[in-house]
Amino acid sequence: MFRSTEKYWKSVLESQEKIEKYAADVRQIDRRIGAFIEFDPHRALPAPAEGNPLNGIPVAVKDNIAVEGFRLSCGSKMLSEVASPYTATAVQKLQEAGVWIVGKTNLDEFGMGSSTDNSALQRTHNPWDTSRVAGGSSGGSAAAVAAGLVPAALGSDTGGSIRQPASFCGMYGLKPTYGSISRFGLVAYASSLEGIGIISDSLSLTRSLFETMRAEDRHDQTSLLLQGESTPVRTIGVLSHPEGLSPAVDRAYRRTIDELKNLGYTIKEVELPTLDYVIPAYYTIASAEASANLARYAGVRYGHQNSLAEDPQELMETSRDQGFGAEVKLRILLGTYVLRSGFQEQYYIRAQKIRTALRRDFEEVFQSVDALLSPTFPVQAFPHDSSDLDQFQQKLADRFTATANLAGIPALAFPVGFEEGLPAGMQLMAPMHGEERLFEVCQKYQEVCTPIHPDRAASRPHAKEERSTP
Amino acid sequence: MDTRELYTTASLAQLSLTETEAEKLSREVSRMLDYFARMREIDVDSLEPTTHTFSKVNRLRKDVKENGERLSHMADSLLDNAPELEDRFIVIPNVL
Amino acid sequence: MNSLGTEYTKEYTTFIGLEIHIQLLTATKVFCDCAVGFGDEPNTHICPICLGYPGVLPALNESALFQAYQVATALKCELSPATVFERKNYFYPDMPKNYQISQYQHPIGINGTIEFPYRNEVRSIRIHDVHLEEDAGKMIHAGDISLIDYNRAGTPLLEIVTEPDLTSGDETEAFIHYFRRFVRYLEVCDGNMEEGSLRCDANISLNEPGRGLGTKVEVKNLNSSRFVRLALNHERERQAKLLAEGSSIQQETRLWNENRDITVVMRRKEESHDYRYFPEPDLPPFRPTPDYLKTVESSLEELPLSRMNRFRGEYGLEDDAVAFLTEEKSRADFFETTAAIYAEEIKSDETRGMEIYRWLSGDVLRHLNRSHTSLENSNLTPRRLAGLISLINSGRIHGKIAKKILHGVFEEDKDPEQLLEEKGLEQITDPERVREMVQRVISEDPAAAAQAAAGEEKVLGYFMGLIMKLSGGRVDPRISRDILQEEILKEKEKE
Repeated sequence: MFRSTEKYWKSVLESQEKIEKYAADVRQIDRRIGAFIEFDPHRALPAPAEGNPLNGIPVAVKDNIAVEGFRLSCGSKMLSEVASPYTATAVQKLQEAGVWIVGKTNLDEFGMGSSTDNSALQRTHNPWDTSRVAGGSSGGSAAAVAAGLVPAALGSDTGGSIRQPASFCGMYGLKPTYGSISRFGLVAYASSLEGIGIISDSLSLTRSLFETMRAEDRHDQTSLLLQGESTPVRTIGVLSHPEGLSPAVDRAYRRTIDELKNLGYTIKEVELPTLDYVIPAYYTIASAEASANLARYAGVRYGHQNSLAEDPQELMETSRDQGFGAEVKLRILLGTYVLRSGFQEQYYIRAQKIRTALRRDFEEVFQSVDALLSPTFPVQAFPHDSSDLDQFQQKLADRFTATANLAGIPALAFPVGFEEGLPAGMQLMAPMHGEERLFEVCQKYQEVCTPIHPDRAASRPHAKEERSTP
Repeated sequence: MDTRELYTTASLAQLSLTETEAEKLSREVSRMLDYFARMREIDVDSLEPTTHTFSKVNRLRKDVKENGERLSHMADSLLDNAPELEDRFIVIPNVL
Repeated sequence: MNSLGTEYTKEYTTFIGLEIHIQLLTATKVFCDCAVGFGDEPNTHICPICLGYPGVLPALNESALFQAYQVATALKCELSPATVFERKNYFYPDMPKNYQISQYQHPIGINGTIEFPYRNEVRSIRIHDVHLEEDAGKMIHAGDISLIDYNRAGTPLLEIVTEPDLTSGDETEAFIHYFRRFVRYLEVCDGNMEEGSLRCDANISLNEPGRGLGTKVEVKNLNSSRFVRLALNHERERQAKLLAEGSSIQQETRLWNENRDITVVMRRKEESHDYRYFPEPDLPPFRPTPDYLKTVESSLEELPLSRMNRFRGEYGLEDDAVAFLTEEKSRADFFETTAAIYAEEIKSDETRGMEIYRWLSGDVLRHLNRSHTSLENSNLTPRRLAGLISLINSGRIHGKIAKKILHGVFEEDKDPEQLLEEKGLEQITDPERVREMVQRVISEDPAAAAQAAAGEEKVLGYFMGLIMKLSGGRVDPRISRDILQEEILKEKEKE
């Protein structure tokens, strides 16, 4: 079942004093971290439900997922004052199981970014090193879990937005099969690529939350509940020459491969010929869908409005200019362009064909291996305002994670220890509805490494240099 | 991408841009589009585009107002978020 | 009307195509559970989905889809093996998402046909495509502000695009009339142009014969079929005159101005609309199975034209009667049920088609108009009408009494038989009784009797009236006239 701290988490709800103590602890720690945009443990207290294993477990929710009674800022000035009148289906299911939603976490604006520094509202720091980013776009969720504020947090993953921050913070990050968790209530960025997922320090809690949330939802006609298959994993594929890795990540990758070998898995080198085209295809499709998904934000029905505008067009144009940050505008413009008549064929349609090619690659690869290992991101958590990795280069770095989004397959980021004092994480991919395979391997890998928290590591001065043992 | 193309695109996206913004965005969009050009290197002409991630199942909703469906009973709280209202109408300036 | 143009129109071929939008008769909107309605308080039938809130997704209404397939099948379209929804992207304040979920490359059906009666012919119009989409909200302009009501946003709309096969304003008006009946017969739309549940834009071009299509002009703001006729006839003349002068036609959008009876160019800046269509990722394609299509086909109501032909043959009805009876499906159904009840229960071989028609188009219609009720909502049922006609044909009542009884059916909600008994309205046919009454009125006015004996016809009418009054209107007029004449003859012989 859960780690030993499950007992602690469930005990918080036992009394008013414990709740207040918990709230005070969170507020104090979060002053340093900035994970929560809105923290209010009293707003959605669950009714006690004896015998329900998730009852009373506090969970944070990324602020692009609707929870009634909380705001739904999406990290943007456009929506910073909008209260959500409804709750996302996935969150509803958790609440029905007695989960305690305690607050909303920071993110890159509308999910666009790999650092959370694109948030228009506040900055989030990596609990392992507050001069560094927590990753993005679900940086707030990853930081909240790593800082010990909650045992799990919901995020969203469009091109790696759960897995990369999870690896930056040394936690698990699950991006489930596309459509297995309802997207109703997830503010859309790239509809055909994204989904709600989980960041946690506990593999069993991750699995439990996943099982509770997955369903076919009548509000989401792309949601699909298929029986997960439980093929045991024997062979794990690895990319022969992943390019552009930092020496630290490269070391961690090689080490992990050896460790998996020692655990009894057969390792096989595989090729994904389409890999080099993943990023242009991914960003073409994502921006195109984003340009349409964000068109509704125009200051008419809700959200930021330029009240000085004198005609409807000026109203919409200026409200959008004022409400959106630079990265969002860039992707909207890019997305609008690649759909334009005369350009759609060479960009958008071509990108969708590359997607087909990638899915074929995976079909072939999974004939000879049961799961596929890759680094999550070419580098570890980078400093805020790093000049080494501008927004363009950050996009290129999504190539390992975005692959799973283009193909719709599940992927799980897991911690593999530390390099140069910072967490290192890898990701494992499986065929559609193959989450069981991911849990199985990561479970076994716990013999080698399990997540630890900075505060616990800090109490052992040399902990960051060594790998943790259970 | 020249600034004229950018302004046409911005107009389609209903985004007003300052001159500084336009210059910067023009460069950044061009950079991305140049990078996208590499998609021409791979031969995908014989493939069908993936338009839907899953598309095998027909999904339909019954034409019945669900009992207890909260979403259809929150008109007032939706209007609370409107920037300007008059007698339940949402108000915007008129084209003159 | 610009009469200068009329003489030129004959020199050119006219091509008219229509884009018709119909609001489907579903209980809920096409992508959410909100109720579909008209005329309610603004912004009451809204939810996060149809208001375009963050995080929502569309969920396709099965009834809207079914009705779309019914129309496409009735229009004999080729049905797509997988129909796909697409986003049509443009900004407008009445658009909740600033894109409309519509269809583009794979609509429900393409390449269909529809036949309709026009001036003693049957015309055939080709259908380009039938596609399903969502309606926008409504904007009301009030000085320097606009007021937006999203009740209508998300209402299912079916768009039917015809090929440019229509040739005049008059023909187009007739086509719209027929199309309105067509959708009402299928029970997919109430066809109300005033309320906007049936809307129509037209494309018109003229060209020298044999040269193909001309430059297309779009005509909008056609809020009634009459305006369609006037606007298109005007456009024909306008374009014909220009072409005859050697000028070219501008490809543009024009609005019908009902106050000035002309079309005017739309003042809005003509932005080239790049809708950037792409497949809607939130809705999977729909693949109709053979079973599904069978269900659609077996659900189809007989179309107006077929029904008209059948009525002509089966009931021996004349054209006027056919047109009247098939105007509304509900009326045609009422007629056939009445005829069937009559045939079965009265077991008569004679078809009473024309008789039923006369009642329905005469007294019944008058009653309905006076009380502002529809046939379905009135107290008259097919069974009651059949009963009334049977009472006449069995001789138990005559015409005037029948009208009284009909009135009683409407006012008192009773069966004709019952009313006959209660009011004692049974026709008096017994010659003895009639003779009694005739002799009585004659004896009361000997002077008039003498005049009648002398041959004055008018006096006979006077006596007929008295006899009718004496009998409380119940005497059989034929019998009473015969006996009256007999008695008058006797008077004459007395002299």
